[in-house]
Amino acid sequence: MSDLQTVVTFLFFPSGLFVMLYGMAYEWADRKVVARLQNRIGPRWFQPLADMVKLLSKEEIEPAGVNRLLFVGLPLVGLAGAMTASLYVPLAGLKPPASFTGDLIVVLYLLSLLTICIGLAGTITPNRFSMIGSTRVLTQVFSYEAPFLLALIGPAMAAGSWTIGNINFYASSHWLLLTQPLGFVVALIGLMGKLELPPFDAPEAETEIVAGSLTEYSGRGLALFKLGKAVELIVGLTLVAAFFLGGINNPLEFLLKTLGLLFVMAGISALMTRFRIDQVVRWWRYGALLVLGQMLVIIAWQIWKGL
Amino acid sequence: MSTESLLKTAQQLLTAWTLETRAPEWNRIDIVLRPDDLPGAAAALAGARWGYLAAITGLDNGPESGVIEALYHFCSGAAIVTLRISLPRQQPRLPSVCQSIPSATLYERELMEMFGVDIVDTPNRQRLFLPDDWQEGVYPLRKDYRPQPLPVEERRVIRPIPENSQPDRFTVPIGPQHPALKEPGHFDFSVDGEVITGASVRLGYVHRGIEKACEERSWVQCQYLIERICGICSHSHAYAYCLGVERLAGVEAPPRAQAIRELVAGLERIHSHLLWVGVSAHEAGFDTLFMYSWRDRETVMDLLETFTGNRVNYSVNVLGGVKYDVTLDIADKIRRGINFLEERTHHYLDVVTKDAAFLQRTRGIGVITPAEVERLGLIGPTARASGVVRDIRVEAPYGSYRSFPVSSVRESAGDLEAKFIVRINELFVTYKAIQTIMDNLPEGELTARFPRKIPAGETISRVEAPRGELFYFIKSNGSDKPERVRVRTPSINNFTSVVSLVVGHQLADVPLILAGIDPCFSCNDR
Amino acid sequence: MRMATMLSDVIRSAWRKPVTRKYPYVVRPAPPRLRGKLIWNPEKCTGCALCSKDCPSDAIALVVNDKQTKTFVMRYNVDRCTFCAQCVVNCRFKCIELMNDQWELAALSREAFTIYYGRPEKVEEFLATAASSGQAVE
Repeated sequence: MSDLQTVVTFLFFPSGLFVMLYGMAYEWADRKVVARLQNRIGPRWFQPLADMVKLLSKEEIEPAGVNRLLFVGLPLVGLAGAMTASLYVPLAGLKPPASFTGDLIVVLYLLSLLTICIGLAGTITPNRFSMIGSTRVLTQVFSYEAPFLLALIGPAMAAGSWTIGNINFYASSHWLLLTQPLGFVVALIGLMGKLELPPFDAPEAETEIVAGSLTEYSGRGLALFKLGKAVELIVGLTLVAAFFLGGINNPLEFLLKTLGLLFVMAGISALMTRFRIDQVVRWWRYGALLVLGQMLVIIAWQIWKGL
Repeated sequence: MSTESLLKTAQQLLTAWTLETRAPEWNRIDIVLRPDDLPGAAAALAGARWGYLAAITGLDNGPESGVIEALYHFCSGAAIVTLRISLPRQQPRLPSVCQSIPSATLYERELMEMFGVDIVDTPNRQRLFLPDDWQEGVYPLRKDYRPQPLPVEERRVIRPIPENSQPDRFTVPIGPQHPALKEPGHFDFSVDGEVITGASVRLGYVHRGIEKACEERSWVQCQYLIERICGICSHSHAYAYCLGVERLAGVEAPPRAQAIRELVAGLERIHSHLLWVGVSAHEAGFDTLFMYSWRDRETVMDLLETFTGNRVNYSVNVLGGVKYDVTLDIADKIRRGINFLEERTHHYLDVVTKDAAFLQRTRGIGVITPAEVERLGLIGPTARASGVVRDIRVEAPYGSYRSFPVSSVRESAGDLEAKFIVRINELFVTYKAIQTIMDNLPEGELTARFPRKIPAGETISRVEAPRGELFYFIKSNGSDKPERVRVRTPSINNFTSVVSLVVGHQLADVPLILAGIDPCFSCNDR
Repeated sequence: MRMATMLSDVIRSAWRKPVTRKYPYVVRPAPPRLRGKLIWNPEKCTGCALCSKDCPSDAIALVVNDKQTKTFVMRYNVDRCTFCAQCVVNCRFKCIELMNDQWELAALSREAFTIYYGRPEKVEEFLATAASSGQAVE
């Protein structure tokens, strides 16, 4: 790519400003769908954008005794991780702007970088709610990473490649939703856990620990974390939709498939009660077993095919 | 057992210490004791399982008389036994009854801080309703109290140390501002990871001094003050107050008025329980149930607005009757509204008892055994969920509850799920009661003539609010202002249960356990 | 035990309008008994002042109470009123009413919350003689 193309990709489209605005649009869609399912109106289209603008314009209150470098740097690192991850997935239906062998693992690592930054952000202040929130975030990360990763490796095994672009190409001709249904279920629920969507929102349970790890954040730091979460939403949806729902090759498929998946997630959010953190971990034993079973099936099938 | 036989039994239990016996009303006896005999008398009643300690009232008879009285009210069914102790105003000192009645500690704390009575070996001497920096020696409910604002530089906050906590554990504060609390209160939990090892509670953030304010307003004005003690049980407060004052004046409200009072009380109970279902679901993270149950609650609020003119603080009562009549149009609306709500309530019962995700947050959590109910003195639906039925509408029917009785609902599991089931089943009972009242509303007047000056006397009126037993002690000195109005609200009994119950549970269970007792901080703090 | 017990509600909401009323663009008509702002008719008043005696928050007062000439002026403090309707109950001649259509009582200044009721010329006279300011209505 030429230098100008690189700059445009990083800053504007399809990464950069586009993915941030698109993330906020999807955040709005999620809130709107949940609201309509609860028989109420929901926010207007510019609500997340208005929240972001408001937060960026407010004073940032730094708690006393906090490590300044970490306090300011963690939101930046988290957002940077999520934005970098967006470079390797087929955003807007185009080929991933950057691609190399093994980028699936790197993308998953970068996504969890954001979650770990949120978890760390809770530990740097002595606020009780932050500390308990960060414990829960890190517990949830450990519960979800393994099954989610394994569920995404299923399509990788079927496609015979570690590169997201190749897996996307393979998935375009094979609807892996049908051949790996258990993997899809585990990936979907894993995505909800990763994004801390209800019912897996124990780390930010407002009625128990105010705002969890982000209790002490306000102004710019909070805005950057929320932006990071919005970008993570897009990247996660794109990954799961590309792998299991028949690949993403043009903007229309991108819109429809990710939006469809978002609606399913919003529906599940509306229907369930928040899980306690120990119940989250407990239910995930079943998830891990399911996905291991799925992988055994894939391996067995590949051996049988090779014979 | 009949009320007379209950009273006779109590009298026999207490003969050893009785100085004098009086029978002011058909269901009450007052027994005068010496201060030192109080623990013995209380232990005798508690040991014989004669009722429970309902309230402790302090009475200041004025600086001229030099006497402060402490009244200990024990209730069993409709019978009320009051132990009266006269104390010298200069040095009022009493022994504690907490060895035999552990739940008395909250009442004793209130007596100490409001009247300056020194209760010698009471386990907890911290302030209950007054702020921590309240001046020593200033007792608000005494007759010679004059408000003296504290200078700004002397104001400070003292954080009490949680009871049963190890010194170097984490303490998680919940309140006074917290998304889980709808009203301010302060809880301190010592946690070890997610598990709670100790808890303490500080109340009194919404203390408005209503009991004192009642002494400076006329009987009519007091009713509106009393109504605003709480928004959700406001009619129950006004109901209890009006019943008591009417009894003092010797006036009985006409049957139609009594039936309308019961009707509005039923509608209020529906509103309160639907609100509770929504709030508890929200504390559990089940926002969908929250939104739908509150949407349906709008139906009963619209009914109340159509009937009484206001959604909250209905002001339906006047001394001697009610203000508003039920017309055919309104009766029709009420019937249709109740039918709609009944259908929806069946659905909510289904959700609460069958939803797997919700049950894993409520089943087996916050279990209260019947023995603990007795020990902690719990009342209302909280106690009924553990199988201990204390329901004034059934034990001591008042007003039109004799003509339109209701049945009590009980469960035995004692956990949060049982509390949900009890409250939702109470909704069904209330729907049926309202339909019965609508079908058989007696004809007649709405009010009876009421004197401006109430003859001197004392009365106790007890009413079943949505949260439990509401206890009113009203004393008149013959003028047009009350001498003393003592309000004991149901939530105060139930708060101690939270503190002892949460130990061993996880932090995530705390908002639900707190919501399970249906706390009403405004009621509690008055 | 079932998952998703609220499913029926959630699906039905998909084709129902939201229940939220878009106030202030959509205003529901108030029920007839709604207790709104107090209105006083001086013509039938006899000056017994039972209404102001029993007001729990001292919101109404007969500032001019001349029974011989039947001159009555009432001061009504909207901000103190609790809309309890005790005054309505007390008045034997039905002079007082709580209007059900005047319940949007927000104002941008304090003066709007003190209202003087009475025959216009009597109110003017009272306000001219009184040093305090107020807002004459009706």
